[in-house]
Amino acid sequence: MLAIVSLLSVVGMGSPPYILLTKGKPLITMKVQKSLPKTKQTSKRQQCNDKWFKSNRIPQNSDSSNLSPSTAMAKLEHRASNLRKDKPNLKRLKKKAMTVSFRQVKTPAATERTPSRPLTNGGAGRPEQGSDSDESQDWSSFAESVLHQNGGGESMEGQESCVSAKAVPGRIEEEAFVHCAERDYIHNRTVLVMQQGQTLCFRGKCLLSCLYGRVEVHGFTLEEGQQSYPLFSPSSHCPLTVTALGDSPNPSKTKKAGRLEAKAIVRKYLSAETCKRLLSEVDSDSCVILLEPLDTPLTRFLNSFPDLKELFGLSSRDIRDSSAMLDTPLSGLGITPLRRTAGGMVMSQTYREALNGLVNACAEELDGCPVILVCGAKNVGKSTFNRHLINTLLNHTASVEYLECDLGQTEFTPSGCLSLSTVREPLLGPPFTHQWAPEHMIFYGQSSCETDLDRYLESLKSLWRLYNRETPIVINTMGWVKGFGFQLLVDIIRLFSISHVVQLSSGDKVMCPQLTPEFLRSSHGWQTHPPVQSALGEDNSGTHPAQRSYTLFSIHSEFEGAGRPGEMRHQRSNEQRDLALLGYFSQLQSPEPGPVRPLHCFTPYQVPHSAVAVGVTHCEVAPTHVLYTANASLVGLCCLNEKVSGRGSPVLLSQTPVCPCVGFGVLRGVDMARGLYFLVTPVAPSVLRQVNCLLLGAVTLPNTLLTGQTGILGEPPYVTMDYSFELTGAGKLHVFKGLARPGQMKNAK
Amino acid sequence: MKKKTTEKKGHVVAWINKAEWDQVLEYLYSKDCTLQKYALHRISAWKGRFAHNTPIAVESTADLVRCQILDKSGKLDADDLVLLYGTALMRFVNLITERQQGKIARPLRRLASNLKIPEWIVNLRHDITHRKLPTLKWCRKGCKFVLEWLQQEYWSRQLGSGLAENWDSQSEGEDGEEDLQRQEDELITRQKEIESYKKARELLISFEKEQFQTFEGFLEEDKQARLWPEPSADMSWILAQIKHFALESSEILIDALIEDGFVVPTIEQLASLSVDNSDADPTAPHLPRVVLRFWLPLLKDLNSELFIHLLLEKLFVELQQLSEDDQKHRSFYIAGWISEVILCNSNKNEYHYESKIQRKARLKDKIFMKRIQLRWQQLLAACLNAPCVATPHLLQQILEDMEHPMPLDTRQKLLRLSSIYTQGADSGCDPPMEHSGQPSGIYTLESLHERLRVQSRRQVNMMHPGTVSDSRKALPERTEDFQEHLSPDVLAERAAELRGSPWQVCTDKVQWKNYPLGKVPGQSEDPSCLMVENFSTIMVFDQQVEMENATQHNAHAGVSMPHRVTTDGLLWTHNDISKLKAGLQLF
Repeated sequence: MLAIVSLLSVVGMGSPPYILLTKGKPLITMKVQKSLPKTKQTSKRQQCNDKWFKSNRIPQNSDSSNLSPSTAMAKLEHRASNLRKDKPNLKRLKKKAMTVSFRQVKTPAATERTPSRPLTNGGAGRPEQGSDSDESQDWSSFAESVLHQNGGGESMEGQESCVSAKAVPGRIEEEAFVHCAERDYIHNRTVLVMQQGQTLCFRGKCLLSCLYGRVEVHGFTLEEGQQSYPLFSPSSHCPLTVTALGDSPNPSKTKKAGRLEAKAIVRKYLSAETCKRLLSEVDSDSCVILLEPLDTPLTRFLNSFPDLKELFGLSSRDIRDSSAMLDTPLSGLGITPLRRTAGGMVMSQTYREALNGLVNACAEELDGCPVILVCGAKNVGKSTFNRHLINTLLNHTASVEYLECDLGQTEFTPSGCLSLSTVREPLLGPPFTHQWAPEHMIFYGQSSCETDLDRYLESLKSLWRLYNRETPIVINTMGWVKGFGFQLLVDIIRLFSISHVVQLSSGDKVMCPQLTPEFLRSSHGWQTHPPVQSALGEDNSGTHPAQRSYTLFSIHSEFEGAGRPGEMRHQRSNEQRDLALLGYFSQLQSPEPGPVRPLHCFTPYQVPHSAVAVGVTHCEVAPTHVLYTANASLVGLCCLNEKVSGRGSPVLLSQTPVCPCVGFGVLRGVDMARGLYFLVTPVAPSVLRQVNCLLLGAVTLPNTLLTGQTGILGEPPYVTMDYSFELTGAGKLHVFKGLARPGQMKNAK
Repeated sequence: MKKKTTEKKGHVVAWINKAEWDQVLEYLYSKDCTLQKYALHRISAWKGRFAHNTPIAVESTADLVRCQILDKSGKLDADDLVLLYGTALMRFVNLITERQQGKIARPLRRLASNLKIPEWIVNLRHDITHRKLPTLKWCRKGCKFVLEWLQQEYWSRQLGSGLAENWDSQSEGEDGEEDLQRQEDELITRQKEIESYKKARELLISFEKEQFQTFEGFLEEDKQARLWPEPSADMSWILAQIKHFALESSEILIDALIEDGFVVPTIEQLASLSVDNSDADPTAPHLPRVVLRFWLPLLKDLNSELFIHLLLEKLFVELQQLSEDDQKHRSFYIAGWISEVILCNSNKNEYHYESKIQRKARLKDKIFMKRIQLRWQQLLAACLNAPCVATPHLLQQILEDMEHPMPLDTRQKLLRLSSIYTQGADSGCDPPMEHSGQPSGIYTLESLHERLRVQSRRQVNMMHPGTVSDSRKALPERTEDFQEHLSPDVLAERAAELRGSPWQVCTDKVQWKNYPLGKVPGQSEDPSCLMVENFSTIMVFDQQVEMENATQHNAHAGVSMPHRVTTDGLLWTHNDISKLKAGLQLF
């Protein structure tokens, strides 16, 4: 099969980037010398190790008069299947090859690029280049996508309206739904036609497929012909926004052909009489999306808890601002669109610049991949930024690595766990909706690391050694940025050869110093220290490997409530932790719809006491009483290299090892007579067979799992109705922060 | 933790049952050191379960008992013991007074006296923290006193009384002053509400009076001209006042409005309006025209979209409450008003053939003219939340009028369900579903089975005649079964994957759904049932994380770090250690 060359930039000014795609091989981005004749450029093929490629984006020309047919030839190949052995059907396009047509398109992005940093996705990355009138297509397509990510950005929406005559930009409001959405009652799905720049911000959950055109959700671009993606927008988080990107990914079509095609698609999904109204809305640059209800084991399991019934409903803020549109063709699907009053995601200028810069960096780095560290105090939006960044990178690359250094608010695992994940699918919901098994995991056992900083760092180091350095990596850090927390941050930057640091902050209060490379050169970490300056002042790079410098992006978060912990329902960190665990254990439920089974109803696995070691990571427990801690508790399923054999009796760990963890389970019961542990876990038996160590931590099972057990004989253990919190000392230790002294109060007045 | 459910379902604690709690309490306060030690060990396990939620009293008791045990052992010097006792006492005083502390630091002495802790204990704490260390004698005395205090105030009162309250209401730490402030604020707002409620009533009464006068005059004057006179000047003024009032507190106005004697007329009022409504059909409530016209001037004046929304909402809430205490007259009128409002909004064109005069008359009776966007989903929910005899009627109105109607079969099912629930007669909306044998309109499981059987027989007969009996047999088994039943295939597959490892799928014939987490068949209620008598300890070195998915689990076998296990103790030679050191990789 012929390798097909995709020529993404055609105009011969500056040094345009060329992206070469070769079937079955990593795809490459390279800069081509100015002097290179154009005819040669097109036939050039190269093999390179850079995985950076760009397969789904179709070039589009902003100025057809400058183009000659030979240079404009560009074909696209579908992604080589061996790049994703495990999930071959992911993000693959229906159409295998497309050719460029010349059409005059003036995208909104192109007209208002000046405020943001110009970008070339292909890799040229010259700041000045973007200001040329005939800039690279690539740039416009990317910049547009980034700019559009400004979910509720009024400025964006406002300016756009003067560009496009036909499109009605901005949030789709109530009256608009009458024209642009049509529900198919038989299949219970809704087809929505969006005009370029329009956004749909919503609460709830649904399955989204893009039927025509391109839409963007939290940084990720969905194109026609791709699989459908589940979207989760629960009340606990910032609502998701779907933005129509407008330009059809298939420029070969003329405007008319595009319109006809889009109309044909609409007709395919709707009956003749219902689609009539919709057809008049369809144009060649509209987007047509299909929304279907989403029912998964996760949603069924969560819905079985009375407290979580409203999880995918409206947040108290939505209700306060009465921003919900309750009666739309979407309401039967499980989603509620929000009015403009509900802001959606707020991206500051610095936020967008950082995102642009990082995407550029990923395109540029030919040797080795960027190592991106994201840091900042609590509640400044680190994890939202991470998801946005990963989603944006996934538009261009098959996978992104993710190293979790935050024990409290973990992305892919229940908390108390450090992990290294390969992310291949976009993250279109909060953490509890994607509890995917990471490639590598280490059980730490607590939701903060302060009790054992060394074990924390050692765990991270051993995860870091497993990083293959062939894909970009995003490192998430904890919100503890003071004192030792800051020192650990310094260590992580030093040890993991970070190439880009993203530092988020909010408000005016300075939580921690700017992590500039200069600052880092002289700061002390917990384990690492700045290189000793030799008295002679000579360059000591010979003896010490010179510390690699990095690029710093400072982001100032400007969303409402930045820097403060969430106060609404399901926003507190312990509730988030419980949700993550419930999300994890929802994997036990059968994929077919049926009754939701409580945890105790599953057939457990059994293992002899002597075959698995038991360890408590967070406190000292008398060995003879250890099963009182372990019974009915959450356990990390870990693998020690050595054989565990206890001559018929339980085996206890004397200290906490840094060892791989393959998942979690509930120690469902202990059979003392036969010497067996019973375990309920969603981990596959083929993985479970290697488990020889059960670790206990301070992260406990959600209380609802114990209190909500139905259908049991007798009283559930560990649950009481009679505990009185009225009595002195009945509550837990509670630390008041910032207790003011009487004297201080006077001074303040 | 969430309030409602925890109140119902109880709290999660670290002890299996009351017996374990009692045992620990008994052992803690026994004179026998071994028993005390046993209790301390158990508390160490509790701390493992509780993680950060260990009750302060439990922790303090354990610390103090630990000091006593070490004291009695005679292995420590007096100075050692003072330090130990000192820490335990200091922590007790600080932690126990923590909850009493407000935003501004208050003297411990005062906080302690609230808790019936004498001043000398607080002084002891002050001595330990920042003065000369107390003598061992004083420490022992303090420890003894505090242990007794804890027994009295916490242990002996806990798990006995039914004073269940929430973890969080306590653990959030409430401030007395804030509480007071809040209470005051609440009082003030309540006061204001009562005031404006009174005003609303006064306004409405004056409206009624005025309207009634005109009505009487109109009755005398001309019985033929079925038209209400134009509002008088007084009336306009009253209306203006009401309108102004509604701007500020429409909610209170509506509350007053739907009280008995206003839009729900009393029997006397009806009589004076000469309305006889005794033969009205409660399943399809229809307001007497006179009542409607009586209120029309007011409602027409207030017919903003917001007001209508609120009115409907309140009416439904009222209906819901009424359905619980069965007041037929009231619920008839409430339902009637709901029906009227929805009817006003209806956009159905069933009036094609009416004459102009008819049309004019009809429009005259409308509260508002233009169709407004009702919140249909909310309405639907509210309607279903307030089941009464009129529900099917209202439901049908709503369903027909919805902006984005639901699928036809959903509508039919909903109506059907609501008529089943309210035990009304078949609303006649679903002729295909009506069939023989519904004598009383009472639906039982049997009638459902009967229907299913009829339907399945029909289907089966169409496809494979002759297998009716099978489908019949399957029916009774369709009860909710939570127990997971693994098919033999799945079991075999799992067993095959686990073969060679110590893990197995449990194949005991156990109804696991009967056993809560933490309980297994045959487990005794004895709190010492989980004690481990023999155990071995294993020492492990940190090792390389190299777990891949099972299929590739040996991929990195070569790069793992050296490790060594020793069972039962440290058994390394110097040689071993140097080898270990050599093998360590420095990052």
